Amino acid sequence: MSISTGQNAALGDDVTVDPALGVSFRARFMRRLLADKATIVAAAFLIVLLLLATIGAPIAAALTGHGPNQQFFNGLNLNGIPLSPLSHEIGNNGQPDPHGAFFILGTDRLGRDMLVRLLYGARATLAVGIGATAVALFIGLMLGMIAGYFGGKLDAVISRGIETAMAFPSMLFAIGLAAVLGAGLINSIIVIALFSWYYPARIVRNAVLALRGEQFVEAARSIGLGHFTIMRRHLLPQLTAPLIVYATGVVALNILFEAGLSYLGLGVRPPTPDWGQMIADGVTSDLYRQQIWVALIPGLALVFTTLAFNQLGDGLRDAFAVRGSIR
Amino acid sequence: MKFVVRRLLIAVGQVLLVTLLAYLLFYVISAATGASPAQRVAGHAATPAQIARVAHLLGTDKPFYVQYVNFLGHIIHGNFGYSFLQRRPVTQIILPAAYVSMSLIAVSVVLWILMAVPIGLIAALHPRTFTDRFLTICAQVAIATPVFWLAPILSYLLAFEPNQGRFLGISLGTSVNVFPIEGWVSLTSNPWQWLHHLLLPGLALALGFTGFYARFVRALVLEQLDEDYVRTARSKGAGRPRILRAHIGRVVAPSIITLLGLDVGAAIGAVLFVELIFGLPGLGYVAVNSIQNLDYPVTVGVVTFTGLLTVGAMTLADLAVAALDPRIRRPTT
Repeated sequence: MSISTGQNAALGDDVTVDPALGVSFRARFMRRLLADKATIVAAAFLIVLLLLATIGAPIAAALTGHGPNQQFFNGLNLNGIPLSPLSHEIGNNGQPDPHGAFFILGTDRLGRDMLVRLLYGARATLAVGIGATAVALFIGLMLGMIAGYFGGKLDAVISRGIETAMAFPSMLFAIGLAAVLGAGLINSIIVIALFSWYYPARIVRNAVLALRGEQFVEAARSIGLGHFTIMRRHLLPQLTAPLIVYATGVVALNILFEAGLSYLGLGVRPPTPDWGQMIADGVTSDLYRQQIWVALIPGLALVFTTLAFNQLGDGLRDAFAVRGSIR
Repeated sequence: MKFVVRRLLIAVGQVLLVTLLAYLLFYVISAATGASPAQRVAGHAATPAQIARVAHLLGTDKPFYVQYVNFLGHIIHGNFGYSFLQRRPVTQIILPAAYVSMSLIAVSVVLWILMAVPIGLIAALHPRTFTDRFLTICAQVAIATPVFWLAPILSYLLAFEPNQGRFLGISLGTSVNVFPIEGWVSLTSNPWQWLHHLLLPGLALALGFTGFYARFVRALVLEQLDEDYVRTARSKGAGRPRILRAHIGRVVAPSIITLLGLDVGAAIGAVLFVELIFGLPGLGYVAVNSIQNLDYPVTVGVVTFTGLLTVGAMTLADLAVAALDPRIRRPTT
């Protein structure tokens, strides 16, 4: 695990000449990042998604004139099948009514507007994915630092704990736990954080273990700084780059985790929309066999979001020049 | 030998932790739902005296640590308890389900290794070309695709009969119901049908892992290609197939085996979704059913059993790696 900051690389053991060497760390980081088109696209997608989830959802609701939970009796065709994208409400004669409500992404099982639900659903998905990662990061940082810094028995105990946590059939445990705690936003964050803290813990532990012997730590000790101060003021800044990189990857994993839980009805409570639950809505009743869009649309949204977070993580890793991956 | 003993001791520790957590979960469930196991068994109409008698019979009136030790003792004897709902031993429910799940995982592991290794190799041997970029993007998409979405889409495309030959209203020309839509056939009754029924679910489970492994293989091989020993092998006249097989393969294989040990456990979590969609009566199916019906002994049994499987897979992988790589066997840190 090598953490390269500006100073390290300039002094360091790297023989290959980076054309950007001599430029500040931030300038090099930005140059590498901007040269990576896929990452820029991913970042732009995520910013747009964030805007859509926060501001876009109410705007869409205002423009279309209906909220995410409003059911249209005529939003299903005469056989009770949801409408395809770009279709009008069904009129009294059984034909699409050009004066009725218009559904850009069609309707769902209960005749609700897919587009508005998709936008509102992004809120739960992102909130749980990012929230759980933040909690997991905090736990992982604490345990990883303690293990890596103090070493010895403490490290042995925490490391075995990390290994065992990784060995767990976490999905099954998470489902059991979610069933106990009940559905809900906060509960999903707790459950997911409990099963994702070990990725950052392992990373931090290995990084701190490598840094512990460095001279700046020794220097800090010799002028009488306490362990806590050294960890917070001297070690933590060195960990920012890898932590940002891994956190981005863990967000992607946790978004899928959240979707999985809500797919099983253990995420946010209906009727609050959520992508995993929207997929479940389309799949569990075998509705998708008649109307593939009800499963296709939320699934694609989920795939693109996960893809964007993964790509952003990879791009940041290259730009920060951090080695390794979360697995 | 010392390594094997050490590794097995760690495995025992992990198993103890897994069972402890599974057991705690069991108690958290009964405490949180407000119904004690004795209450569940005795039924709604039971009097407090009857409940107390059932609690005594089940042993749930003893302190938790005594119960945990009893629970461990029972597991060692292969006794996972007794289902409240189905009124038969949990092992009778779990073992047939485990057979289904293990078949599914086995088919899936074979599929993802068969796909990921060639893809990763091709990408590594042509780095930064169009082929490499294309394969990397495919791997990225595969990783980002949730299995509970991929499984129904695959079943829609390749198994669903009323839509045969059409996707989104576009005619595909031929019928595409290549695979049975759901169900399970035992290996012993008909090996061909067994495979035929597992291929599509196996593929749904395998694709995400294929993405991970393809990237992993690519990174590992790419790293090795610059090593001195590869140059030496090349300079003494070894051809590319021989270098890949005898030199790089031997260095890379332990890392892949270690990862496989971990991922068999991860696959058990994903298996659940595939089983629900393809109607396979496996462990995931049993787990979800028991959770929904508050049939705790079955839930705890499944969780413990999968935990044991996972620890077993990891231990086996580590021992296999030690057999392949003499450096590991030497005690280091």
